Amino acid sequence: MNKKCLAPLLIVLTFALAACDDSKKGNYTGQGNDGGLPDDTVNLSNGGIPPARGKFNPETDVSYDTLQADTVYFAFDSSTIPGSERGKLQNVSEWMKTNPDHSLYLAGHADKRGTAEYNRALGERRALAVREYLVGLGVPAASLFTNSYGADRPAVEGDTEAAYAKNRRVQVGVVIRP
Amino acid sequence: MVVRVDALVSVGIGPITGPQGTMVTQVLSADLRRTSMITPAASGSGEYQASGDYSGTGLTGRLLNKKTGAEVFHQTFNGTGRAPIHEFADAITQAVTGIPGFASSKLAFISSATGSKELYLADIDGASARAITHDNTISSSPSLSRDGSKLAYTSYKSGYADVYLIDLSSGNRTRLAFFPGINSGASFSPDGSQIALTLSKDGNPEIYTMPISGGAPNRITRTRGSETSPSWSPTGDRLVYSSDDRGSPQLFASISQGIGELDHLVTGNSFCTKPDWSPDGKSIAFTTRLGGQFQIGVYDVTSRMAKLVTTGGGENPAWTRDSRHLLYDNNGHLYLLDTASSTHQSLPVDMSVTGCSEPTVSR
Repeated sequence: MNKKCLAPLLIVLTFALAACDDSKKGNYTGQGNDGGLPDDTVNLSNGGIPPARGKFNPETDVSYDTLQADTVYFAFDSSTIPGSERGKLQNVSEWMKTNPDHSLYLAGHADKRGTAEYNRALGERRALAVREYLVGLGVPAASLFTNSYGADRPAVEGDTEAAYAKNRRVQVGVVIRP
Repeated sequence: MVVRVDALVSVGIGPITGPQGTMVTQVLSADLRRTSMITPAASGSGEYQASGDYSGTGLTGRLLNKKTGAEVFHQTFNGTGRAPIHEFADAITQAVTGIPGFASSKLAFISSATGSKELYLADIDGASARAITHDNTISSSPSLSRDGSKLAYTSYKSGYADVYLIDLSSGNRTRLAFFPGINSGASFSPDGSQIALTLSKDGNPEIYTMPISGGAPNRITRTRGSETSPSWSPTGDRLVYSSDDRGSPQLFASISQGIGELDHLVTGNSFCTKPDWSPDGKSIAFTTRLGGQFQIGVYDVTSRMAKLVTTGGGENPAWTRDSRHLLYDNNGHLYLLDTASSTHQSLPVDMSVTGCSEPTVSR
């Protein structure tokens, strides 16, 4: 870690500060002395941005209607945003430019195939990938919250490839009661 | 590969005195048969003779070796209901096979019978199934401590995936891990003092350990992929888990005290998740995807070879105390599998408890 050059260190510090801001907003901070902050900063070299929880209730304070058409779909066992889906995130970033006071709730999902834990992690990776992509388009990280439901909240029931394809997704919700 | 099936030991049952003697005989016979090593026989026949007296508050059991005429044990098992019968079955199993029985183990699992996923507890024969959560949210990924006194699981009660701890004797529930991101897939260390789990608080899903008394998590993995479903070695010094850092999910093992070198467990299958390390340390069961179907595999730690033990589908294997049988789920039903013979039997939980998955067994 002490061999890191200056540029990544600045990025790390920026993210660490962003994470501090996020954690102040959240009801749900982790147990222990660090209060849910990243336990160290070197982990950010993974390329990930630490996730954040909002102080809103995802069950009652999020509307999926506004940006429903921008639900991002994924290939089986993949958290890579397909090229064909990227235009949707461009739309989302533009919506955020005209609604800068809003926050988004990115809900990751997996299709039912596979074990619960693997699917929960896959949904999380998908939500975090969308978050990172939106940050790249200029959406402030502090206005993006993520969660994963694994395979437990399918959009469509059924054991067909068509159903599976509709369930491998990240829904873009607007926080309506921040 | 040669399948080794030991010759069965016959144990005659009877007389069992007391007002519920018939019920005791039935439960005891089923427990002994479930070991795959003992065949229960009528009173008066068999290499051993199990007799006893069952009252409302306990069972006094006696085991006789009929060849030598010697009494193997004469012991009182305290407790109400079926518990002392299961204890008697385990004592018989240990005495006649030298291998621990698992009739007294507790089983926890998830059922979606009410329309939402709730946590259930049952005896290992599927009897006495009862819901222990009524949260009307997603409950998932239960883990029983080895002594059966505590249960850790994932719940979305807060709106997010958090790990909760239930003390089964008091019924107290505490939220143990609730960092930003997902907190899930808890697994108890052999001594019950720690859990290993997946947290994504640092940017992607990684394995950590945490004391169950609370405190800062200790990071175990650092990759660009997702690490899930940790399971401890019986000595507690290593963890096995699934990682998709190299593409599709594979099994890896590393030390449980911090970030160490990863040992890739090559199973010959490209999609392996949900490992469970056997109590004797010799085997790791896992779920694998083959030709679009999910099956149970068993990895031999010594030979570093893996084999499939199901053909009709299965997920989420959990070892029993004898390191020979596995509980698993398939299409909403629970099964008990004998890995020595690759034969399985349905676990008859209450008919109303449907949509069962993710079994976990106390040891």
